[in-house]
Amino acid sequence: MRQLLSRQVLFFGGKGGVGKTTCAAALALAASRSGRRVLLVSTDPAHSTSDIFQMPFDGTEREILPSLFGIEIDAADEARRYVDDVRARAQALFAGRTAARALEQLEVAAAMPGMEEAALFDRVSRLVAEQADRFDLTVFDTAPTGHTLQLLRTPQAMMAWLHALAHSRRAMLPDDRQGTDQIAAALEDRIARLDAFRGRLTSRAITGFVLVVVPERLPIDETARAADRLAEAGIDVGAVVVNRVLPVEASGEFVEARRRQERVHLLEIERRFAPYIMVRVPQQPTDVHGVASLEAIAAALVGGQLGYL
Amino acid sequence: MLVRYAERMAWATLGRNVRDFLYGAAYGRYQHELRRQAVELTDLFMLLCYLELMGVPNPAAYYLLEVYPLLFDEFHLWHRRLGIERSPLGSLPCC
Repeated sequence: MRQLLSRQVLFFGGKGGVGKTTCAAALALAASRSGRRVLLVSTDPAHSTSDIFQMPFDGTEREILPSLFGIEIDAADEARRYVDDVRARAQALFAGRTAARALEQLEVAAAMPGMEEAALFDRVSRLVAEQADRFDLTVFDTAPTGHTLQLLRTPQAMMAWLHALAHSRRAMLPDDRQGTDQIAAALEDRIARLDAFRGRLTSRAITGFVLVVVPERLPIDETARAADRLAEAGIDVGAVVVNRVLPVEASGEFVEARRRQERVHLLEIERRFAPYIMVRVPQQPTDVHGVASLEAIAAALVGGQLGYL
Repeated sequence: MLVRYAERMAWATLGRNVRDFLYGAAYGRYQHELRRQAVELTDLFMLLCYLELMGVPNPAAYYLLEVYPLLFDEFHLWHRRLGIERSPLGSLPCC
């Protein structure tokens, strides 16, 4: 997986509970040890990144270790901030009674379903679009598969709408208002930003998606579907991490029985994910908690000594 | 001085009248049709913007939030034009 360290954006995804957060944190750690400035972003509402590093995170980035920064995105917070921002602009635009009514209308619109998902998407897209200015690598620890795929496919649907809206707005404007219309300008600004995001997202040189799977039947199916969906969306699957593989040195009758079962699943994984780079991470003797225990995972992910990447 | 000022005004008025006459001759016949088309385009745009409030999911709804305040006046004209006296759905306070 070492070759993935040269990308600028890595998403970690997979079924719930397969160890996405751990793998994302370990890779971020490995990259930061090799001297790159890394931002680790958690979009999972479960927010277990705080647990692993044993420190609290919030919506603004915080230094975890030298050149490793962490951030946890809270969708509800993001939505609130955005609505507040729009409200402030509306207030500046209108006076008195009209302002009160405009704000009320805004309130109704802001209560629509899907607002938080959209706010989360907006923050992710901004982090991806702007990350190159401040970080060498941004690692996203995403929510379970379905949710994340929806998130990454959002721009396609959104773009179609925004294009229709901008086109329809332009068509209704008289010539002398083409250059000054704030609505057309706002819509076109969004289109430009979404375009930039999608360009980075679908570039193999910039973005990679790492799928994490464990050798069990259900996660394999779900992950294979995710790989197909990502391909449809034009997003490169950079690697498949097979997490919690029984270590070679483990022994005993019980372990041997499990290993026979596991071998079947591992063969299935080899077959289903043949086109991708695959990495096995052995099951750890203890829970992954703290930087020291992450190092073992990081070494398994990128191979060899961490300091000499 | 005053006379010359009046003369210039007369020329300006004449110029304006001639311009209006030419404009009327050229566009007068089509004005009704052009206005109708403009109204249709506006209605389409407003419909696209407010579909979400009528229960049709709109993937761009989030980014429209920043557009709604700018559309506030047009929204009112629109629902009146649709023949709805009061704000539709009751949830949109504008009148």
